[in-house]
Amino acid sequence: MDENENELRRRFVQLREADSDRVPGFTQTFGRARAPKSGRATLRVRPLALGAAAAIAIAAIWLAQTRSSSPSAATPAIATWRAPTDVLLQTPGSELLSEMPALGTSILDEIIPAPLNRGT
Amino acid sequence: MDDVELRRQLERAHADCFGWAMACCGRHRDDAEEVLQTVYLTVLDGRARYDGRSSFRTWLFGVIRRTAASERRKTWLRGLLLKRKGNGLEPEALAAPDAEVERDSRRFSLGNALAQLAPRQHEVLQLVFYHDLTVEEAATVMGVSVGSARTHYARGKARLAVLLGDSREL
Repeated sequence: MDENENELRRRFVQLREADSDRVPGFTQTFGRARAPKSGRATLRVRPLALGAAAAIAIAAIWLAQTRSSSPSAATPAIATWRAPTDVLLQTPGSELLSEMPALGTSILDEIIPAPLNRGT
Repeated sequence: MDDVELRRQLERAHADCFGWAMACCGRHRDDAEEVLQTVYLTVLDGRARYDGRSSFRTWLFGVIRRTAASERRKTWLRGLLLKRKGNGLEPEALAAPDAEVERDSRRFSLGNALAQLAPRQHEVLQLVFYHDLTVEEAATVMGVSVGSARTHYARGKARLAVLLGDSREL
């Protein structure tokens, strides 16, 4: 053991001596340990635990409500919704495609006048 | 070991345990006392049971170390949840000067120097020099291999020499 190690040991001894003046009595510490736990630790932890439990409960209720109310609120909105581009599907003459054509007639009959009888 | 014998052993080691608890709690006296109370309760409840594989003091030091670490985690978590500062092992708190120990300069006091060491270096030096444990016993308390404890011991001594302003190697 060299001189420096002795010096280090001496410093630690001083530290130990300083600590020895601050040591709480064994009976006091032991008594507190044996006493029912009603002290600071419980009081500090309990609000945190209660707060966490309350936050979880609120989040769970909010999620449950959101999920249950979403479908009924969204369904009518989807049924009545129209895409803004629907207008592009309305092309000229589209009504012709939605009717059954009659035999012996032409769609041109309504557009082009019947030819005049030339008397031949 | 019955309750009477347990109490006798705890009483015998009390002052030593308090010193170790102080080291584990960044030299906060109130925290050290609270840790010690928790340890005594744990031992009395039988949640920590001495199995005779090491000396009673070595085993008890291990329990104190684990309890202090657990308390530190709780304090850190509380600080995080409450966004409160000033709990646990703030660097300044760790470096709290000890008036009785300081001799020449506050900056270079042993307490401050120890606080600047890596935790394991601090622990092994405290156990060896303050509590007169062997490096092997310190390794048991710290839950590391003897080789690892020796490494921490050597590096800690060298670093402490620098911090204490001694240019010579210890």
